[in-house]
Amino acid sequence: MPAIDERHQEVIKKIKLVMKDISKNITVERMPVLDVPKIGYDNTIWSEEKRMLTIGSKKVQVSPDSIKKIPTFSQYLVMANAVRKLLDEEMESTIRGMYYATLSTVGDDKIKQKFWNSQENSDDAIKAVELLTGVPREEFSVTSKPKGMISGPITLRVGGDVIDCSLGSRATSQLIPTNIRDLEIIDVKADFIMVVEKDTVLNNIRKSGFIQKYNAILLTGSGEPDRATRMMVKTLNEVWKKPVVIFTDADPWGLGIALRYKIGSESLSYDSDRLVTPDAKVLGMMFSDIYEYNIPEVARLPATEEDISRATDMKKKPWLNDKKWQKELSLFLQRKEKCELDAFFKHGFRYLAETYIPEKLRHAGLL
Amino acid sequence: MKPKHSIEVASTQVENVTSPRTSSSINNMGRIRYDKKAESEFFVDNSALAGFTGERILYMAVRELIENSLDSCEIHHILPDITLSLKLVDPLNDLWLISCEDNGIGIPADKVPVAVCSFLTSGKYVEKQQRGLFGVGLKMIAAFSTKDTDHPLRVWSKSSEDRAEHYFDLRTDINTNKPIVMAKNALKPPDGRIKHPSGFRIEAILRARLSPITKSRIYEYISQTSVVNPYSVLVFETDDGRVVFDRRTNAIPEPAKEVLPHPSDMDLKTLKKAVMNYMNQKTTIHGLLCSAFQKISGEKAKEIIGRAGVDLKAANLYNEHELIKIVNVCKHTKFQSPNTDHLSPIGEQILTAGMTSEYAITMNKDVRGSLPQDQPHLTVKVLKPSLTAYSSRTCVINNRPTVVECGIAYGGDIGSFKLYRFANKIPLLYDEGSDVAREVVSEVEINRMGISKKEVKEQFSTADTKSDRAVEMLPIHIFFHICSTKIPYKTAGKESIAAEGELKKYMKSCLADLYRKVSAQIRKELRVKDAENRLRLYRHYIPFIIEAISESIDIDAKRLYELFNKLAERHVKGESLPTKPNYIEDTITEDRIQQEVGKDTLAPSKTASPNMYGEKALGDEDKYLRSNTSALRTKKKTSILAPSKDNQPENLRHTTRIKNKKRKKKEIDNQITLDKFDKFRRPREPGRR
Repeated sequence: MPAIDERHQEVIKKIKLVMKDISKNITVERMPVLDVPKIGYDNTIWSEEKRMLTIGSKKVQVSPDSIKKIPTFSQYLVMANAVRKLLDEEMESTIRGMYYATLSTVGDDKIKQKFWNSQENSDDAIKAVELLTGVPREEFSVTSKPKGMISGPITLRVGGDVIDCSLGSRATSQLIPTNIRDLEIIDVKADFIMVVEKDTVLNNIRKSGFIQKYNAILLTGSGEPDRATRMMVKTLNEVWKKPVVIFTDADPWGLGIALRYKIGSESLSYDSDRLVTPDAKVLGMMFSDIYEYNIPEVARLPATEEDISRATDMKKKPWLNDKKWQKELSLFLQRKEKCELDAFFKHGFRYLAETYIPEKLRHAGLL
Repeated sequence: MKPKHSIEVASTQVENVTSPRTSSSINNMGRIRYDKKAESEFFVDNSALAGFTGERILYMAVRELIENSLDSCEIHHILPDITLSLKLVDPLNDLWLISCEDNGIGIPADKVPVAVCSFLTSGKYVEKQQRGLFGVGLKMIAAFSTKDTDHPLRVWSKSSEDRAEHYFDLRTDINTNKPIVMAKNALKPPDGRIKHPSGFRIEAILRARLSPITKSRIYEYISQTSVVNPYSVLVFETDDGRVVFDRRTNAIPEPAKEVLPHPSDMDLKTLKKAVMNYMNQKTTIHGLLCSAFQKISGEKAKEIIGRAGVDLKAANLYNEHELIKIVNVCKHTKFQSPNTDHLSPIGEQILTAGMTSEYAITMNKDVRGSLPQDQPHLTVKVLKPSLTAYSSRTCVINNRPTVVECGIAYGGDIGSFKLYRFANKIPLLYDEGSDVAREVVSEVEINRMGISKKEVKEQFSTADTKSDRAVEMLPIHIFFHICSTKIPYKTAGKESIAAEGELKKYMKSCLADLYRKVSAQIRKELRVKDAENRLRLYRHYIPFIIEAISESIDIDAKRLYELFNKLAERHVKGESLPTKPNYIEDTITEDRIQQEVGKDTLAPSKTASPNMYGEKALGDEDKYLRSNTSALRTKKKTSILAPSKDNQPENLRHTTRIKNKKRKKKEIDNQITLDKFDKFRRPREPGRR
């Protein structure tokens, strides 16, 4: 497809431009500098207008002028070159593949070390290439293992095949491919989209006939959602105008996952425009639901120290100063108890899909 | 020969005493025989007192012989020339031939047999610093040789007094502490064995085993001895080869002088001995105090006698009760510090000579087989440090004047930390952990000299660095020399020194002195090393950078490589390089992609000058619009999930972008969602736009 090739050409051109600037600086005896937008809390800005987290203007300067940055600098360049090669050869790769493709050792016989300490380093370098070129890695064919799943009345074109996800939707779900080039949404017949945290919960709900009964699409990121899953949710909401509801566990981790979909994350704040669905509704599971739905004490879990510090942290975030969230977090910090969606099975295997969720949806005005 | 003294307390058979069965019988109760043992027998039975235990016999023998030889030379200002040989002559019976030859003052012929064989006979029973003191070492060798073998000790001696050389075959009568002279010959010049004007040579056969550990201790002992005796030539011959330690200086320490005892150290014994010595001179107690002790003036003597309340009479007329009063008064009187004439410190010049070329014996690892037969397995390595420093303190420990000397050798050939300890010029090799020097090293912080542990760790730490202390990661040798007539040894083995009195305080201040002296240099070296490491890091990473660039764009890789290396070198040297804010275009804009990459003008032009780029980057703001990445993304044309229908030909898209450029940046920023989702495939359902 010419358009995609053109997109690739753009990435190649941008990488070449980076290389050119560096070589120019060297030619005139200046230490080259890469200005990489800074990732993290202190460069994350809550945009009231967009209702999502966006990246600020802070930059990290990566230059071989400092001894600590020499390895980082060369890692970024090596990775950029590897991406360019990948595109030149019209191939695609996972992030792990990129790690292997660039494996090497540095130094002489006396002091020899690995070019990458671990795959984490190379993942960081890939991120840097994204930031430098301003192109997300899916668009230069570097992807991760798919783990998002979708089930319900939606028709996709994956590669060349048309897949109707409602077929067999009582038994299976369709994996969401991570390489978005391979994916096209052909038709959506559902009334709304329901995102759950885990595939186990999704399976339970699907089995109950929820999809058919409420004409819904079930979707999960299997924990932390990958980018393709987030983009899928966003597209369904904003392009196909389907309301999105989110159910996650009643713990800080689950709440974090729900917020990834709704407002974005600090680590991917530079890509929020493509990933975040501000109109998504986080319906459950609220901390207050633990008590309102009488989850028996045996099914509640005591909060760990990590949970507490996470929740305390979240409570301070300016984008969570909404009264409702503050109240929920305060409740959690006070009771120090958490609960998984699976805990509803204690009330019976169909309780979650046939009582709790419909009640929540009705309350939100979706049913 | 004098028979063994024995006093019969009760007549009894000796064997009864040792038999439990008979000793229990009433008849034999209470009958004990008291024997007087000869000194020789006592020392042979209690050889551990002199350090002669199993493994360590050869080590001790080497020590005693070298120390005797050095003492014998230094006493007359002779530059020592010592040859020591240690060879296994009978492997089956573990017999070793140890021999030592020196150019010292020798021993007069009539004294040789006693000097070699009779325990507690020594020319060193005087108040001054010497290596040996007790007249035991050489005698132990003689006694062990007699005890374990049937070989006589062979001794050549050429005394400095008569210059005549004599040869002896000697054995010790261990039961009586008397020498047995088996042969005695006067040697006329052509037959003489000793080349030097005077000297002493001894050969002894000893039965002993030599473990590799003890062997390396012997080598270590000789290496360390040569460090504090750089004015001597030491030749050491073994089955593994022959090594020579050259003379590095002709300076020899002032020999120690015999001095009078210091009054604060006076006791009844010393006072009575003084009285005895002055018996014939008919002096008064006043005269005796003035002349038999140091630091007592006439005034002071009067004061002492007055305070003791004894009558003034001839010195030999006082009884012990009167003398003890004088002793008591002296214990409570303040005297000037004792003088140090009887000490012989190494001195700055000599220790520095030893430190600046430190000789160390190294063993070639692949001893058997791979090396040719004639190649020596032992070699001497000379370590030349990049700097040395010396400091000393004189103090009084246990009423004895004590000199603390400390030296530091740093860098150069020295590869790692090592602590050397010497007491009266004798290396201490065992029990380093419990030695005061060890405590001193761990308590004086080198960090305070502006050398941070982190830096040291980065530059010097290696895989086999055991210690976590900064100083112990440095390539530094620290030398401590304590000299005193009474070294506060911790144990009878005399291998470690106790932190007696203020000894530690003085040692610490010495070491702190030295740290101050060398820290500037160390700091400098750390900086140089840091620069080297940084440059090496550049050298390692530059090829990666150049490869990435040259694969991506068309450029003269070799030239770029050279330029980057040059840049790195200058940078490491700390030459100021302009970076921000003068650096060149760092921002990727659509315009630049179109203009620069598109036109295939990637290689930097050869006429490029810094100014040109600088102006470009700073001047033409509009053209080199600094947009952030999100702004960039707004201009993307293709969709995320659906391929774009935009199939315009290349040149047409150009014009689109140029038009876009004319929009104000702010507008572009606000466009995100619309611009983007515009390109999505429209849903089939109606209702959207």
